[in-house]
Order: sequence, then structure tokens, then C-alpha cells
Amino acid sequence: MISLSLPGPVRRYFDHWFDAHNPPSQDSILLHNRRLYILPTGFGYLFAVMMLFLFLAAINYQNSMAFMLTFMLTSLAIISLWQTHKNLLGISVKLQIPRPVFCGEMCELEFEVSHPNNSERFAIGIQYQDQPPVYLKLEPEGSTLAKLKLPTARRGLYKPAGITVFTRYPTGLFHAWGWLRFDLPILVYPHPADDARLQQSMVEQFDGQTSTSTIEGDDFAGLREHRVGESLRHISWKAYAQGRGLLTKTFQGHARPSLWIDWELMTRGSVEERLSLMTALVLAAENEEQKYGLRLPGKVIEQGYGSSHKHSCLQTLALYRQTDAEEELPVAGD
Amino acid sequence: MSREISSRSSVFAVCFCFLFAIMPLFRHLPLWVSAIVAFALAWRCLQNLGRLRELPRWILIPTVLFCGIGVFAEYWTIVGRDAGLALLTVMTSLKFLESRRRRDMLILVFLCYFLIATHFLYSQSIPTAVMMFATLIVITATLITINRREARVSPLDLLRSSSRLVLLSIPLMLILFVLVPRVPGPLWGLTNEQRGGITGLSDHMSPGKISNLIRSNEVAFRVDFEGDLPAQSQLYWRGPVMTNFNGYRWSQLPRRPLKEITLTVSGPPIGYTVTLEPNGEQWLLALDVPTRMIEDSFLTADMQLINKKKINDLYRYDMESRLGYQFGEQESERYLTRARSYPEEYNPRTVELGKSLAAKYRGSEEIVEAVLRMFRQQQFFYTLSPPALGSHAVDEFLFQTRRGFCEHYAGSFALLMRAAGVPARIVTGYQGGEFNRVGNYLIVRQSDAHAWTEVWIEKRGWVRVDPTAAVSPNRIERGLDDALADEVSNFRIQTRNPIFGNLLYRWDSLQHGWNDWVLNYDERKQRVFLRDLEIGIDNWSDMVIALVLLLLAVTGSFWLLSWYRERPPKPAAYELQFRRLLKKLARHGIEKKPSEDSRTFLRRISAEDFEEREQLAPIIELYNRIKYGRDGDSALARNQLRSLIDALQS
Repeated sequence: MISLSLPGPVRRYFDHWFDAHNPPSQDSILLHNRRLYILPTGFGYLFAVMMLFLFLAAINYQNSMAFMLTFMLTSLAIISLWQTHKNLLGISVKLQIPRPVFCGEMCELEFEVSHPNNSERFAIGIQYQDQPPVYLKLEPEGSTLAKLKLPTARRGLYKPAGITVFTRYPTGLFHAWGWLRFDLPILVYPHPADDARLQQSMVEQFDGQTSTSTIEGDDFAGLREHRVGESLRHISWKAYAQGRGLLTKTFQGHARPSLWIDWELMTRGSVEERLSLMTALVLAAENEEQKYGLRLPGKVIEQGYGSSHKHSCLQTLALYRQTDAEEELPVAGD
Repeated sequence: MSREISSRSSVFAVCFCFLFAIMPLFRHLPLWVSAIVAFALAWRCLQNLGRLRELPRWILIPTVLFCGIGVFAEYWTIVGRDAGLALLTVMTSLKFLESRRRRDMLILVFLCYFLIATHFLYSQSIPTAVMMFATLIVITATLITINRREARVSPLDLLRSSSRLVLLSIPLMLILFVLVPRVPGPLWGLTNEQRGGITGLSDHMSPGKISNLIRSNEVAFRVDFEGDLPAQSQLYWRGPVMTNFNGYRWSQLPRRPLKEITLTVSGPPIGYTVTLEPNGEQWLLALDVPTRMIEDSFLTADMQLINKKKINDLYRYDMESRLGYQFGEQESERYLTRARSYPEEYNPRTVELGKSLAAKYRGSEEIVEAVLRMFRQQQFFYTLSPPALGSHAVDEFLFQTRRGFCEHYAGSFALLMRAAGVPARIVTGYQGGEFNRVGNYLIVRQSDAHAWTEVWIEKRGWVRVDPTAAVSPNRIERGLDDALADEVSNFRIQTRNPIFGNLLYRWDSLQHGWNDWVLNYDERKQRVFLRDLEIGIDNWSDMVIALVLLLLAVTGSFWLLSWYRERPPKPAAYELQFRRLLKKLARHGIEKKPSEDSRTFLRRISAEDFEEREQLAPIIELYNRIKYGRDGDSALARNQLRSLIDALQS
């Protein structure tokens, strides 16, 4: 969180102080006085230097109007300190529960920013570390959704650190901000390997006896795209007549094939590569509408099918051998 | 963040803002600098519209160099007021041509703030101050546009925000202005540039010199008298004294320091404060004759008050004078010889007349009287537009044209005196002034400029003789406008504008107050002002403490006010009832989670072991009907809700 390298005790004290003042929240974070910080920006410091020059010039020329201008601009800075702070005060930010994401993809966080006060709020930014911020504006008593995209670099469960809501309005001389620490971790699945296919050799132990084809069965299950080489008998001509293209009728067989995606079968590569491969296989199996289970050292997920089954498999893969389940989200390229 | 490209609207805003800030300065800039401003702004705007490409560096960098050299060639320096302004303007304009990022825009806005300050080296008047506020609002609006980060913002909206910001700053500015301890300057050398007006008295006098000055209605100085205003005819404001005469032109001798003087005075001392407008010279004006010495100035042997530095800024001093006086009885013979000398080759007829007067009359006083009688009785005219005179100017005036202004009368009178062997000299300055009855002070304008003479008479010293008074008594008793009513455009507020007279007096009072309180607020004035407030601010550290406390008090009250104005709206009555319900339930250990709405909450607690759960359903049903139903929020429904909640055991 604080990227300065401080001596151990100081840093611990600082972290403790920080945690006490910015407790992570599950619901919404209200930016009140103790959660808001404000410092001059680079331009603020430049402005201060400029004021010093003007002041010296005013003394030198004993020019009353130059004094007046210097004091006027200084007052403007003081007022804008207050206005910048005020622009952020009383705003509450709520993080919508983040959707899981595959490693390497951008994770989209959705914040609901609102305030109950009778004033407009301008140029409120939300920023993740040094990524480009998103800006929004709030009407009186208004609320707005802001979407922030975070890069993901490693699988696991992360609480994004270093997200701030900030403003520099109206003069840009001051930067007021509050830390957005939410108790809502982001689940990052392993990156699915590109070259993974469900192959006979990888798919172990067919539960049923024969059938590998789902085209023949007893109960009609649905339509899917026609593949080259399939018998024309199974084409749904009715659908074709409706102009939906060539579709193949699929049937639910009694002898539905089910498969195990097994750690031991992944013969090549590091832990991450294997997990990546297995992730791809889970997705492929789900896509092929096959029953599948997961076998990892020390962990077995029984065979199943469907969205929630897929997610529990992917989550298991994401968290495999992650000792500290809740880490801070590392910076991209870490 | 710093690499961010500036938005299109902000580029236009910054261009406009620069134009607005530079506009009043155009008349102080060389034409080619104004041309560069126009070129740079036009190019940047077209570039912003996509009509032009960015000016390539290989053109820009030599241009910057050439402009720098150009400024140097124009002024032979790059520091100082005029050259500094030209340089700042040129460089700011060229900065526009290589401004792409947001950062550049912010720097340009800051440079515009700097430009305002340069105005004040030229003028510090009330209109300039008003212009400063307008410019400040425009520049701040530009700053807000850049920080607003919206594609399109209405200019009116921006001006409103920025005016609010500027207006809120004014109280703080006043506190800082009054209480920040002032340091006497200068800190480093000032370039010797004239920073004030240019009209005023001159160090020499020739026919036509003063009558030119008379045409200006600019204020020369203003005077606050401690007691009553002396009679108009006594108001001789002593300026440069001229002893040297070359036949046409009167000029000053090198200053003679005052070593010793016998000054016999009569009458009460007259105390007054002069606020002198910058005249670019060293002389201070004082009522004839000054009897007090002030800091940084000295009196010459001619009783002229001289400041050690040139008056390039408004200067205020307290003075004391006596109207009845006698000095110079012990004038050195060497000086008196100078005061009798004249070039023989010019003005032969005048010299002859002077010599004949000396033969005819015995005492100096009689000679003076004879010449004044001549002016009074013969056909002499007092006029602002006398005919042009040749090389024997005094002869032509006395014997041919006989039309002249104060310098003609004073000059010819002094020459006649000298020819008659009476030491005489010219005193220039101002005579009279206009009393501002609204502000109770005297306004002395350039149009009140005057020239008179002093003759040296044994045992009486230097005696003032005003030959103009002999020709036109009105000039001295009632002022120039009465004396030349049909010739000059009247500058007196009273006569010029009888209807709006009071208003104009008020406006001049305002300017006088501005000079007094704003432009003259220096270290001394600050000390006196704060001491006279009698609130215990006596020194530097008191000022700082008072400053910090006041700043905190004002910002604190702003804070409270905005907090009050922007407080969240008061919750509706039914919400308060609902909170009461939740409080009651909390005593039973049932808490609503923030993420639950009332119905999911109801569903959850229905499953729990709570004896009154049957009563809860109608309450929550009613609550939702009031909250979401059309016309649900009636008094009846609210009362019903309250009684239902009352019925719950707590």
C-alpha cells in the first residue's frame, strides 16, 4: 500500500495507523473527514513558488496592487483547498461484487458513487495505482456508476490495493483523496491455455461403455452448429427452413460420456502451466456439454455439469496451492 | 497523468484567457510583439480545429531566439518593466505553439496570472483594480474548465463557479493585505524607469511651457488640511525655483544646499498632508513656505523641498507651512549677482525700459510697484493662446502682442526687475486648487500650474510678487477657470458639471481614499493603523498571530456555512418511524443488514424465533406502501404506521 521503504517499526506503526483509519468495508465507504487526505499537487507547489516571486516583486517595487494580487491568489489557493476537500466530502462509494475473471484479462470493477448532499460534485476520479483514472460527475443527491478496469497478472483471490477516489477540482492545486479498501476479493482464474483440446488420451475413464457421440440418443437435447462430416440425417431441416443455417439435432444419451480432468495426466510444464491447461479443459468440457470432474493432488471435485459446477472447478484451480488466500492485487507485470 | 493531451475546449479557453489578460497591455507593447501574439493565438486555434499542423520545432526554436534578440534590440535590455513585459508576452505566445499536453495548458494559465501583475507597474488606479478582478475571474474560469474534465461546459456556469471562488477569496485577501507584515523595499536595484505619469512641472520655463500643462486635468496632488482651508489667494504651492536666464528660457541653477537661514514667521502653523501623484522628478510641493523637514528629503537655500529619490510612485507626506514669512535677508552677494544678470544681446527694449525705471525710481519697492501698475493700467490680456514669439520674446510680448499667460508675465517682470538692478527669480508651482466638499480635501490639478516671481529687497529678503494677479486678479482669487472662462474647457467639477457635481466629487474622494488606504498602505501606515485600532497589535509577531486566527475564523465559518447548506435532506417521517422499529427490533437482537431491503429483511426474520413476527408483516407492508405507492404518504397512513409500531413491545 505504501510503497516507501521505511524502517520496520515505523512502517508497522504506519500500517497500523492506516488500517485503523481506513478499515476495509464490505458495503459502502463514506468519505468523511478522517478518511479524506489532501496534499498540494505539483502545480500547487509551482503556484506557491510563483506566489513567493510575486511577493518579493511586490516588496521590491512597493507596489500595493501587486501585494493585493499576491494575497488574492494566495486566498484563492486557500479557498480551493477547502473547495477541493468539500468536493469529495460526504461521497459514498460502493463496490458491486466483482465477477471472477481469467488471468490476463482486465477485471472490471463497478463502483456506485453517490452522495446525499444538495450540491453538484465535479471531476471525481477513481484510479487504480498509476493506471489512467475514470472521471465522473454527481448531480445534487445523485449517484453514478463508474467502471474501472484492472489488469490481472496472477491467479488467486485478491483484494485490490491502491484504489483511490480523488478530486482536483476546482483549481488543480490540491489533490484530495480517500482510499477505497473493500472486503470484496476478486477471484482470478488461471489463464486458459490456448492449445488445449479435449483429446482421447487426456480424457480418462469413460464412465459409460461405448458412445462418444451425442448425436445419437433418446431424448432431444437441443441444436448445435453442424460440423463437417456429420450425417445429414441429424440436420434439423426445420431450422434450416427458418433460415437459421445448418444445425445438428443433439440428443441426451443414457450413455453420456463423463470425464476426469486429472492433474496426473498433465504431463508437461510447471504448476502454472498445468493449471492453465486444466482450466482450458474445464472450459472445453463445459462447452462440449460433457460431464467432468477435477482431480488435483489432495483435492477431488466430483463429476458434474453446469455453470455453478464450472465455477467451483475454476475456483479450485485458481486457489490451488495459494497459501495466503487474500493477497493484495499485484501490479501488472509484477 | 502529465502526458495527458489537453482537451479541445480547454485549448480555446486558454487562448481566450490569454487574449483577455494581454488586451489592456497592447498599448505598452511594440507592434511586432502584438503581431506575434495574434499569430500564435490564431495558429493555435486553427491547429485545435484541425486546420493546421503543429509548428515544427525547427521553425519554433529559431523564432524563440529571434524574438529574444528582437526584445533586446528594442530596449537594449531584457530586464526592467517594458522589456520584461515584452519578453514575457513573446515567450508566452510561443509557448502556445508547442502546447499539446494538459500540463502546458496549466502553465499557460499560470503565466496569465503573472501577466496581471505587470499591469500594476503601469497603473494602480481603481479602474485597473476592477479590470484585475475581471481578468482574475476569467483566468480562474479557465483553470476550472481544465480541471472540470467535461467535454462541454457552459461558459456561464464556469464564470459563476469562478466568480464564487474569487468572491470567497476577497475576505481572506483583505485580512492578508492588512495583516501581513510589510517589509520596506526595495530588495534589489530598481531600473530607473519612469513608472508614473509624465505630465507635470518642468525644470525650465519658456513662453508656452506652462500653458501646455494647463490643458491637462490630471490630478497633481491632493491635500488634506488639518485645520481650515486658507484663502484661495494664499495657496501658492512652491515648486522649482529658476534663476538662470538665457534671454528666452528660464532654468534652475545647481541646487544650493541650505546651510543656515533666518526665517521669520508670523501667523499660525498650517498642518496638512499631501498625496503627490508620481511626477518622475525629485521635487515635492509645499505651501509657501515649508517649515518642517521630513524623512528622505531636504530644503534648498531657495526654500524648495527636494526628495532624495525620484517620485515614481504615489508619495504621501505630512507638511507644515507658514503663510506669513520673511527669509533671505542674508543672501550671498554672489547669488544676488546671478539674480541680477541677463544677456545683454536679447530684448534690448525691455532692458532699456528697466534701466530707465531704475533711474526714475529710488527704491526697489517703487520699481516693483511701477511695473505692476504698468501691467494693470495698460492693455495687457491674460490668455491661454498667446501669439507665437520670436527670439526677443520679452520685447515682443511687452511692446507688441501684450497677450500672454502666467509665464509671460512672470518672465518679463523678472527681466524688467533685473534690468532695473533688482534681483529677481521665477518660482514655478501651482496656485489654488479645488476644494472637494464631499471628501473635505483640496484637489490640485496640472491645470493649476502657475509661475510667479520673487524679488529681493534689502532688509525684507525674497518677496513674492505675482504679476499675473495684476493683470487678472480673478486667476489668483477664484482660479483659472474663472479667469479664462471662455477659453479653457473647465476642469473644475463645480463649474463643469453642476448636476453631477456631488457624484464626481464622490468619485474623486474614492480615488483619494484608494490612494490613501490602498496604494499608500506601507510599513509605516500599517503600524500606525494597527496601533490606532487599539486591539493590542503592536508588533510583528502580534500581526502574525492575528493573521492566523482571523484566517482560521473566516475559513472555519465558510466551512460551517457550507456544511449547513449542504446537509443531507431531512429524512421523511415514515423513515424515522422505520428507524424506531429497527431500534426496537435491535433490542431483541434482530438487526437489519445494510444490504437487505425491508422485504428480504422481513423474510429472513420470519424464519427466526420472534414472538411478534406476525405483527411485523403489516408494518413493513404499510411502510412500503407509503414509500413507493402513489400518494401513499398521507397523514392517515403515517399515523397508522406510528400506532402499529407503538403497539410493538419494546
